[in-house]
Amino acid sequence: MSPAHAIPWKPDLLQVPPVQTQPSGVALLEAIGLTVSAPGSPERPQVLRDVSFTLRAGATLGLVGESGAGKSMLGRTLARHLPEGFSVDAGTLRFGGEDLLGMPADDHRRLLRARIAFIPQEPTTALNPVLTIGQQLQEHLLHLGVAKDEWRERATEMLAEVRIHEPAQVLDKYAFQLSGGMCQRVMIAMAFAGDPQLVVSDEATTALDASTQAHIVKLIRSLQQRRGTGVIFVTHDLGLAAHACDELVVLYAGEMAERGPAKRIFTRSLHPYTQALQRANPHLTGARRLLFSLPGQMPGISDFSSLKGCRFQPRCAVATDTCTPHVPAMREVLPEHHVRCVHGASAPEPLLAADASDATLLHAPRMSEAPFLQVEGLSKTYTPRGWLRRGTSMHAVKDVSLSIAPGEFVGIVGESGSGKSSLARLVMGLETPSEGRILLNGKALVARAEDWERRIASIQMIFQDARSALNPRRRVQSLVTQSMESRPHLHSDRKARARELVGDVGLAPDMLARFPSQMSGGQRQRVNIGRALCDLPQLLVADEIVSGLDVSVQAQILNLLLRIRREHKISLLLISHDLAVVRYLCSRVLVMHRGVVVESGETEAVFANPTHAYTKSLLAAAPPRDLQVRWPA
Amino acid sequence: MSNLSLSAQTPFRRALGEPSVLIGATLLLLLVALAVFAPWLAPHGPNEQDLLSTLLPPAWAHGGDRSFPLGTDALGQCILSRLIYSTRVTVIIALTAPLGAALLGCALALIAGYRGGRIEWAILRMVDLWMSFPAIVLALVLMVALSPGLLNVIIAIILVDWTRFCRVIRADVVVLRRKDYVAAARITGASHWQVVMKDIVPGITPTLVSLISLEMGISVVAESILSFVGMSVEPHVPTWGVMIADGLKSVFSSPWGLIAPVACTVLTVLATTCLGDGLRRTSDPRLFNRSGS
Amino acid sequence: MSTLWRILWRVPMLLFLAAIVFLVLRVLPADPMGMLLPPSATPADVKALTEALGLDKPIPMQFGIWLGHALHGDLGRTMQSGQAVTPLILKALPVTLQLIFCGLVLGVIFGIGGGLLAFRYRGTRIERAVEVINSISISVPEFLWAILLILGVGIGLQWLPFLGQLDANLTVQPVTGFLLIDAIVAGDLAAWWSGVKHLALPSFALSLGIAPPLMRILHSSLLEAYTEDYIAAARLRGLSENRILVRHALKNAALPTVSMLGIQASTVIGGTLLMETIFGFPGIGSLMVNAIGANDLPMIQGLALTYAVAVQAVNMATDAALLLLNPRLRTP
Repeated sequence: MSPAHAIPWKPDLLQVPPVQTQPSGVALLEAIGLTVSAPGSPERPQVLRDVSFTLRAGATLGLVGESGAGKSMLGRTLARHLPEGFSVDAGTLRFGGEDLLGMPADDHRRLLRARIAFIPQEPTTALNPVLTIGQQLQEHLLHLGVAKDEWRERATEMLAEVRIHEPAQVLDKYAFQLSGGMCQRVMIAMAFAGDPQLVVSDEATTALDASTQAHIVKLIRSLQQRRGTGVIFVTHDLGLAAHACDELVVLYAGEMAERGPAKRIFTRSLHPYTQALQRANPHLTGARRLLFSLPGQMPGISDFSSLKGCRFQPRCAVATDTCTPHVPAMREVLPEHHVRCVHGASAPEPLLAADASDATLLHAPRMSEAPFLQVEGLSKTYTPRGWLRRGTSMHAVKDVSLSIAPGEFVGIVGESGSGKSSLARLVMGLETPSEGRILLNGKALVARAEDWERRIASIQMIFQDARSALNPRRRVQSLVTQSMESRPHLHSDRKARARELVGDVGLAPDMLARFPSQMSGGQRQRVNIGRALCDLPQLLVADEIVSGLDVSVQAQILNLLLRIRREHKISLLLISHDLAVVRYLCSRVLVMHRGVVVESGETEAVFANPTHAYTKSLLAAAPPRDLQVRWPA
Repeated sequence: MSNLSLSAQTPFRRALGEPSVLIGATLLLLLVALAVFAPWLAPHGPNEQDLLSTLLPPAWAHGGDRSFPLGTDALGQCILSRLIYSTRVTVIIALTAPLGAALLGCALALIAGYRGGRIEWAILRMVDLWMSFPAIVLALVLMVALSPGLLNVIIAIILVDWTRFCRVIRADVVVLRRKDYVAAARITGASHWQVVMKDIVPGITPTLVSLISLEMGISVVAESILSFVGMSVEPHVPTWGVMIADGLKSVFSSPWGLIAPVACTVLTVLATTCLGDGLRRTSDPRLFNRSGS
Repeated sequence: MSTLWRILWRVPMLLFLAAIVFLVLRVLPADPMGMLLPPSATPADVKALTEALGLDKPIPMQFGIWLGHALHGDLGRTMQSGQAVTPLILKALPVTLQLIFCGLVLGVIFGIGGGLLAFRYRGTRIERAVEVINSISISVPEFLWAILLILGVGIGLQWLPFLGQLDANLTVQPVTGFLLIDAIVAGDLAAWWSGVKHLALPSFALSLGIAPPLMRILHSSLLEAYTEDYIAAARLRGLSENRILVRHALKNAALPTVSMLGIQASTVIGGTLLMETIFGFPGIGSLMVNAIGANDLPMIQGLALTYAVAVQAVNMATDAALLLLNPRLRTP
């Protein structure tokens, strides 16, 4: 494979302002006190405040933060494409010594073409749906100065470099014909095509499966090493960033909380927020301990102006009087390790919150061993309909059997396309099985009206997307007690039950009058859970219910489920792609791959000593907590 | 959160706050008032002919007569009176035809969108078939078959325009049916009927209301076109379309016979379009999805 | 194979359309004979006419006979003059087709032009102005536009003529039936120019019927496309705004616009009916109005079918265009 710089560039076409190829070690991108503000009155809220870092050529800088922290705002500032009304109020951003924000727009655009590249979060929508991959690559390459008769060869090379099979054929395909992973590889190829000096990967792996994620990180790494590119890696996953990056910046509510060497921040975080993040993350290996969930949520833009002093202070377990009204300065308390906290390098151990100190939560209650739900040989095949009956049948679920005892939490793990969501829908009765049967309390469930009543009395589902699972025109009170509508009931009974449920799921009573659009993601998911609990079913089927949530909110929901088990003795069938979450909650696990259960058993046993190759690959794909282990392998 | 006040307003109150809605609604109410109080407002009967005073110009022009404020037509009938009495036909059609078309179109759209499968396919093909004829042609053919009359005009308009409702609403129903909250309603024990009424219909109501207002204007125009061709209501009933057709014939001698009904028709359609646009804007479902981000 | 079927499935539909036309006119009227005969007719007259027209046979058989004839091009004879229907229609058709073509072309120009203009100046007063003009245009139906144009431009300003296809003193030998083409063939520039002037007002009125929805959908599709990820990604690759608009956004915005164009074509075709009446063009619209006035069933039937065929032809063209533009529709 010929290296990129063997292709002759046509310098007159590029006309990039002269930037010498920096030897490693010299600053490539420098941010000094960068502050970006949003429109508002009387004062403009600052969505990024006093952000400073230096990225050297060949190095990787990680930007870690939850949603709303401002990670993507930095990318937009780099691209000089801020939303309407936003502006850079203070600070500088220098690229290769040049003022990135002050240079003329045309020069900046030329930089974007060849010297700075972006890898987006959602690869399938980042490609024009009506143009072929080849057409888009051609446009980009010609734009970069590649000759007209050479672009095809170059494009095929690029696609091969990112490990796409049969690259020549992919050139003629459209984005909707490729998988998410393949689209992302195409985007990476396009990003590295012009031999950029800086690549910004904006949550590029978030939308992908764990194994694809590992491959993509490895790919970016190898391309980077070959060309000496500097990479900014934006992610919400601290564990991933610790492996993939040299230096880390932890963002909270638009401010840097901590900055320093990646491995050090991971093993010895100094800022209370980073420490809280780590305590809220379930672990795949090591001792099982209770998650410490941060109360509340990250402040939104509208709350910034009312926060004086440290923005983390309202949620901080070790806050003191000195934390407000002045914003703590960023201090270098250890070599290369900066933290914005009054405690500096010696933050005290926090007092654990009420639910976290309750050790009994983690222990599954001792109940009868006899299962109440038995699934035998369940299969679901989708045959294509239409006049000509073309296309192959899709076996979503093949011959799956499982059983659940009262109070037992069972997890189903697998990647997208494994059939786990179909299995959940089959158990819930939203789909009818092609083969096999489900026994509830000893009697088989058939597709008759009376059995439907029996089914929904015992089994309820919590949907993944809480927003689309709640009717936007109903208030919370009506939503949590929705199942009472199909029976005659008293209005006062309904109100009382709503209050109970809302308390059960940890929401304040004043939430009863709200609409879903007025709540956060975590609150909506609680309403979802509350609704499922209304008639006290025996089994809750939860389909990826925490996958879209922030780490701290996820911890709250997970502990909530444990608390519900202790109070109501309800079983849970948890569908998830996140092995650590399943390990935290479930005593038993089934691993699914392409519709078939490849391995099953006690969670600890399966995860510690996997027997099937697929399980092993799943476990290997998750970033290990031990930073000495090389990841991706 | 600041959005509490926004969603706490009922859709009705929100609609009243939008200027286009107010303008449109006021004009239409004016129209209804004219129709109801026509006998007291019009100076003459609509079919009173005065063959000595044909094609008179309006009262303020040279040769005009004070008793005929807008002049007369070729048969000596008072233009203003005919204008006012024509509002009756306009109002009846604008109120009944859109509701009928909405009912028929909605019912079929709900069945097609909710049930899916073969039924949906059949209904969609029927809609395609229906829409293969230009609306005017189909309406005329129906009027030929049904013979002139107010009720038949309404039936013809319903039979022609239901397809528009069906197509648009069906698309909405399909989107709503896929939402998780429909599945959630089913697993909390709601019957299909309850799901449709409680979860789907409220979702299509904004679109429906907007379509109905637009349809009011469309049906008024449809009636004018039918009158113009002579296939509308019974011969002695005055409508703006008939006045336009007559006015066109004598446009060189007395243009006011044409200008007046044209102006009225245009104003009415403008009012309904205003209303429909305004309602569509206030009930934009995106308003419901705004969270404090 | 299935791609071709996606275009051609409309052809069997024509059969159903013919059936609908037939049924509506046979089944609905309470007394078809009453429509066809003067009040002074005797029962013997009625019987004779019934047999002559074949109306005593069962309806499916009548349909079969009519269909058989129609497939051979024989649509019966008009009741007004006894002439064959098909030649009359064929003679009038080119006039209408010419009008449709001019109306469509003008409509597309105004619609697309307006949409691009509003988009290019989005956020400024120009966009608002275009939107307001649009709203007003949508509210005024085409035939009223025609009348307003006659009043204003024709009578008031006296810029353009508005009666008939040509000035009264000119004639052109009908070769193809399309007036403008025939004038060129005959080398008669004065007649050609006169024809163009006479076509101006009706085409303009027709275009005002379809331009506003087109403008609206192009404008909103472009706005929506610009919120999509691929536009942001293209901008991040350093592409210029012009390039993004032309190469990326327009191609996507074209899809709903072409769909809308297909729907509007039906409006144009229907609109010609009134235009011909108002402006005095001898096309199938005028034929239709006369036929309706005289309750001439065979003529009405033949014309309704002609209109339906025209709409289907345009829909087929739209389907083909969409298949070309949207790769998702092409793969099975």
